[in-house]
Amino acid sequence: MARTFAWRSAGAALLAALAGCGTDLTTAGRCPELCPPGSVQLADTLLASPVLSDTSVRGYVLVREASFLLASNLDSLKSVVLLRFDTLRTRWNPTTTDTAVLGVVDSVRLQLSIVQRDTAAKALRVVLHRLPAQFDTGTTYDLMQPFFADSTLWDTTAAGGIPDTVASGTVTLAAPDTLRPLAGDSGIVALGLSLVSATPTALAIGSGNQGVPAPVLFFYVHGHLISDTLHKDTLSRVLSLQPTFTTFVMSPDPGQPASGVLAVGGIPTARATLRLGLPKEVVDSNAIVRATLILTTLDPVAGFARDSFLLAAQPILRDFGPKSLLYPDSSIAGVAWLHPGQSGQVQLDITRLFRLWGTTTGDSLPRTLALRVVPEGSLLSAANFRGVAAGAGAPQLRVTYVRRHTFGVP
Amino acid sequence: MRRALGWLAAALVCAAPHARAQDSVFGIRGLGFLDEPLTGRSAGMGGGYALFDGGGVTNPASIAAWTGAVGWAAGAASRRTFDPGTGAQSLTSTRFPLFGFSTPLSPRLVVGIAASDYLDRNWSVEQADTLTLRDSAVAVTDATTSAGGITDLRAAAAYRVSGQWAVGLGLHVLTGSSVTTVRRDFPADTSYHSFQERSSTDYSGVGVSVGVFATPAPTVILGASARFNTRLKATGADTSARIRMPLELAAGVYYAPLPSLIFSSTVRYSAWGAAASDLVAAGQERSRDVWSVGVGLQAASLRMGGQAVPLRLGYRWRQLPFLIGGNGLNEHAFTAGLGLAGARGRANMDVAVELGSRSTGVLTERFTMAVVGVSIQP
Repeated sequence: MARTFAWRSAGAALLAALAGCGTDLTTAGRCPELCPPGSVQLADTLLASPVLSDTSVRGYVLVREASFLLASNLDSLKSVVLLRFDTLRTRWNPTTTDTAVLGVVDSVRLQLSIVQRDTAAKALRVVLHRLPAQFDTGTTYDLMQPFFADSTLWDTTAAGGIPDTVASGTVTLAAPDTLRPLAGDSGIVALGLSLVSATPTALAIGSGNQGVPAPVLFFYVHGHLISDTLHKDTLSRVLSLQPTFTTFVMSPDPGQPASGVLAVGGIPTARATLRLGLPKEVVDSNAIVRATLILTTLDPVAGFARDSFLLAAQPILRDFGPKSLLYPDSSIAGVAWLHPGQSGQVQLDITRLFRLWGTTTGDSLPRTLALRVVPEGSLLSAANFRGVAAGAGAPQLRVTYVRRHTFGVP
Repeated sequence: MRRALGWLAAALVCAAPHARAQDSVFGIRGLGFLDEPLTGRSAGMGGGYALFDGGGVTNPASIAAWTGAVGWAAGAASRRTFDPGTGAQSLTSTRFPLFGFSTPLSPRLVVGIAASDYLDRNWSVEQADTLTLRDSAVAVTDATTSAGGITDLRAAAAYRVSGQWAVGLGLHVLTGSSVTTVRRDFPADTSYHSFQERSSTDYSGVGVSVGVFATPAPTVILGASARFNTRLKATGADTSARIRMPLELAAGVYYAPLPSLIFSSTVRYSAWGAAASDLVAAGQERSRDVWSVGVGLQAASLRMGGQAVPLRLGYRWRQLPFLIGGNGLNEHAFTAGLGLAGARGRANMDVAVELGSRSTGVLTERFTMAVVGVSIQP
């Protein structure tokens, strides 16, 4: 009995000591008596020329891969949309045992998903033109101009009006009843869309890429059973056609960025690559607590009004020039919002990027970063910054870092 | 009743209003906070019994008291209050500062091993400040934390020369490490990212201790011990230092005028002043020679379940070796405890509570510590 008691007492006490007692050792420092030797020393420095070299390349997201299709009649940018739809069927099955034959097309509707428009521009009208089914997918704006002549006009004055109140969302427009596949096009409908408006403007519609709905044609048709030798229009049907190819062509063509310009965004999408050369005191520092990349715009940021977008500085996994691999963790990137019309300095916090380079896994990464817009291919917005050759406007880096900390012994 | 006493013992460990273990805010200076590892019995008697305690590490001759194989351990939980001038703070910690094993090899020769805390380097300091960065005021919080300490591993042998004399020899190895972590946070500005760095320091050293007991009368035992240490080597990431360690002397008396009444006292002297120049060379404050005194009383007048339950009272006072802002640090405590025996004396538990304070200049740290010691003789 006594033995049991002793064991229980010892067990209870030790269990309580182990589990019931916490440890809290933290006190407010009272200096100098009870402060630890040494303190964290911060340094803040502006690196005026941290970029050894830069390059900009356009073409990371091609026009036909973009999430939108652009129709524009702006003086600075002309653009038309090219669509090729699936084959219009001439037969359908009203029941599992019957087959119907296409008769009369009662009406045609074109459904568009409005991605973006300038609501200040009024009386927008989408004008439809006939295109040959097998138009060249690598065509240019100039080459397509003959197909946007009056002779190819499919539109009528009643068609294509976009209500002024619609800023985004789906609109269904009346298309001409004569909108049918051209002879010799194997039932394929190909359309060109241009924009007419009271004042020059641009309209972005969904392309079917990146989850944004594509234009759809609806044919409201009549027909008769194949067994009906009298061909009485006793059946009706709505046939929808999805596009098999969508793109747009524009003038002027953006081309490759000029040398010395850090170009990002636009369509085709551009990225800029910066290769950094960091001084020894920054490389050898214990830690970067804040790093800011300072860029200077070459011209005002382009894009739809109120269409702000993100500029990201992302680390590079392997530097293969224009085909460099981006570091997969996008949370490491430094980002900044850009607004159309914005000019002057743009600052990006790239502390996480420096922290990554300071880890054992990130140490082998090239000290190179890519500038790009986010998300790519879904914005027309673009920005151009001054490159390393620009002198005063060249990229700068402001770094706040911890000097080497001396712990000492004992 | 017995079960209630068991839970009371547990409550003493954790629910004491203010307690200290071996930690102290003053451990930030010098080599750390000098520990005084005691068994539950010695702690209850103010450390006065430390020189004669078979479970203690002060005198290697003390293990001669064991007549059979025995293992022992002590746990200590503490709460402290400290006011650095910005308001009192409550601190807590739990430690297991002592354990050991001993067995006779012959009727006269006893050997044993023990591990105990020697210098404690557990502390944490947090400071707030405002800096001007990039032309703006930025609030920062710096936290420096140290975890670890130096452990004393002792292998000892004691020999009962006669009924009146016993001698002992101990070989000590000082070993351990501490990890210091420095962290800076920017609590009010997310533009700045936190910084943290840690550094480890390893410690090593050796020592030898000798001790003796003399029994001039049936009710009196006199004891003395001396310990000699080599330099302590501290090795950091990119630097190292060698610190002279002190000569430690202790003497004490054990007096039992009645079978149920024991008086005991231990006085110790440690020449920590020898480390002063090495500490100054390493950027630390000087150290000083220190004294400590402990006195205690044990009365076995209470019986419970047919077993004697000794009650203990004590008082201890000591100087601590490392100066704080040029001032010496002193500590004193009142102690009380009791012993519970089970399994016909083969399983014993001793519980003690200390109430005390340590102060230097205007700085005072008050503490309450509960110690639970267990010894098992299989």
